[in-house]
Amino acid sequence: MSVRITGIGIVSAIGLNVAENLFSLKNSKSGIGRIQYLDQNGDYLVGEVKSSNQELVSRVGVKSQPISRTSLLGLAAAREAWGENKHSSGLRTGIISATSVGGMDQTEHFYRDFLDHNNPDFQVLKCHDSGNTTERIAAELGISGYINTLSTACSSGANAIMLGARLIEQGRLDRVLVGGTDALTQFTLNGFRSLMIYDDQWCRPFDESRSGLNLGEGAAFLLMENDKSVDFSGNKTLCCLTGWANAADAYHQTASSPDGKGATMAIQNAIQVSGLSALDISYINAHGTGTKNNDLSESVALLNIFGDNCPDFSSTKPFTGHTLAAAGAIEAVFSVLAIQNGIIFPNLNYSEAITETGLVPITEFQSDQPVTSVLSNSFGFGGNNSSLVFSVNNS
Amino acid sequence: MYITAASTISHQPTFKNAGFSKLIEPLKTDSELISPNFKDYIDAGLLRRMSKILRMSVTAAKDCLQQAGVDQPGAIIVGTGLGCLQDTEKFLNNFLTIEGLLPPTSFIQSTHNTIAGQISLSIGNHGYNMTHTQNTLSFEHALIDAGLLLVEGNDNIIVGAADEYIEILGEIGEKLSANPAINLTSGASFFVVSKDQSGNSIAKIKDVVTVGLVQDINVSIENFLTNNTLEESEIDLVLYSDFVDSGLVSDVVKRFENSSEAINYTNLVGIYPSNSSFALHYAADRIQNNNKIKTVLIINGLNRINLGLTLIQSIEA
Repeated sequence: MSVRITGIGIVSAIGLNVAENLFSLKNSKSGIGRIQYLDQNGDYLVGEVKSSNQELVSRVGVKSQPISRTSLLGLAAAREAWGENKHSSGLRTGIISATSVGGMDQTEHFYRDFLDHNNPDFQVLKCHDSGNTTERIAAELGISGYINTLSTACSSGANAIMLGARLIEQGRLDRVLVGGTDALTQFTLNGFRSLMIYDDQWCRPFDESRSGLNLGEGAAFLLMENDKSVDFSGNKTLCCLTGWANAADAYHQTASSPDGKGATMAIQNAIQVSGLSALDISYINAHGTGTKNNDLSESVALLNIFGDNCPDFSSTKPFTGHTLAAAGAIEAVFSVLAIQNGIIFPNLNYSEAITETGLVPITEFQSDQPVTSVLSNSFGFGGNNSSLVFSVNNS
Repeated sequence: MYITAASTISHQPTFKNAGFSKLIEPLKTDSELISPNFKDYIDAGLLRRMSKILRMSVTAAKDCLQQAGVDQPGAIIVGTGLGCLQDTEKFLNNFLTIEGLLPPTSFIQSTHNTIAGQISLSIGNHGYNMTHTQNTLSFEHALIDAGLLLVEGNDNIIVGAADEYIEILGEIGEKLSANPAINLTSGASFFVVSKDQSGNSIAKIKDVVTVGLVQDINVSIENFLTNNTLEESEIDLVLYSDFVDSGLVSDVVKRFENSSEAINYTNLVGIYPSNSSFALHYAADRIQNNNKIKTVLIINGLNRINLGLTLIQSIEA
């Protein structure tokens, strides 16, 4: 399989566009720090996008309110990915976004006022539902028709990309914006705290001492086009999505299986769809949240697939924080950048391999690398496991 | 795509009640969910922790598998407009009011994909597992995804939709809606769909289309019929929903008046974002019980900005 990627856009803790994100990655500059914007007590480490809602509103130029921070972040990234593309009645254009919180960033303020009988603003609930998040982005970009939202927790963004590729492969759409967006919320921050997997220190993926994740926020979108659409747009192909798969771990509602069954199936099937062999993978952008459970299960899955020949791998979550439904999309943009620029990103905050598996991630930024195919993993609650393969454009 | 099993839990006597479409009357405003004995389908320990939407969904999905005689479906695809509201509200309450350690269960179960995840866990299924949430079009998007998978070689797919009513929705509805008399309900409808016709086939889903940010409902319907080489007069039954009695869709339905029976299914099952999944079950049930009904069109206009169109046909002998 092969679907062209012709545009990318991103907003994260390490930058408000692709260039800023690339700069931070090259310079090992993490975006995680103490809470600046979220209305939450406590000294938590978070990967916030360094813009207030008001700044985002003027940046993306939306007029109608209310609008969730999730939509604002998504719109900023989607606009960058869409670029200067023109609408055409001859092309079927769609959008698929992913979100886990939707408008919760607004709803949680409403609900506090509601509990306190403090004149709650019911109007903000119009942007609560996840579908609305995407409709707002679509409306601003002038996209109508196929507008869809996926919500599969932390694998959502990867699933949106996979669904877009399948719709293009089967000729249901000519081009599609795919991605994900999630704002940081009190809801998710307290949620991961309740699970005892929120690290009060810097998250340390694949390190023996890892003890949890740091949440982040952000959004990323990619534009995918078929030949007909590229003939119209004249867009250059940045790289191709060649493989994708989703599998259920069916082990536990939140924990991953110790044998990495679902993860192994997702990776194996994605590589199979790409027509490549495991040896062709140059770099793996791992899910690597920094929780005890995920990183062990993912490492076991990598050993299941690659044995002693594990390719260079790293988790970029110490840069951005775990951005939940946006993570798969943000890391997809990083995968495109790795192929475009021949670079591999460091796994920050690492010092010692996980005893059970001994896998050692890349810890320094690498340039001038022959990066031809990248595997990107996204694993979520409910045992929802997805893997994507990005490859250089050979056509 | 062929429907080989269908199961609905709703405010009507739909569960394990083939032929319900002949019996049910428009829903009264004080109706309640008609719950089956969930313990027959879900382990008691798990059941205790499950919210309404999870109980309904796991039960309807398992009932479908039993009907279809399928142990392991090829995939599990769920649509939900608002997701697991009961657990979402519970966790909001918890973290806004409890100081110190928080119980995690309601957070864990608040994510939209808990529904599809719990179905996969309850039967140990490792296949494709997906959750679509596009408010009133969530179910149609799940169906489209199932159609893609069938072309890709997957088969015997569980596809369904669910939404649950919680008390605060009533108050929100009154504050945000022009019409305070809206009848908000809960419901779950699940199906097994297969690539090929078999002895189990109930009906055929010929086509599904979603039009987000719809501009002209009439034009969209005309295009849909043209693409399926159908005349208006060939539709035997139109099932529709209308945006809080705006009359937008019922005006459109008038064009079918001469030849078709038209029913507003929201009057039968109440309002929840994925209630078009009930309409699909209703259509299949009518087809099974009346051999004069060969072609059914579902026009989902529950939300002013979104249009869903689904075409169902009887199985040809």
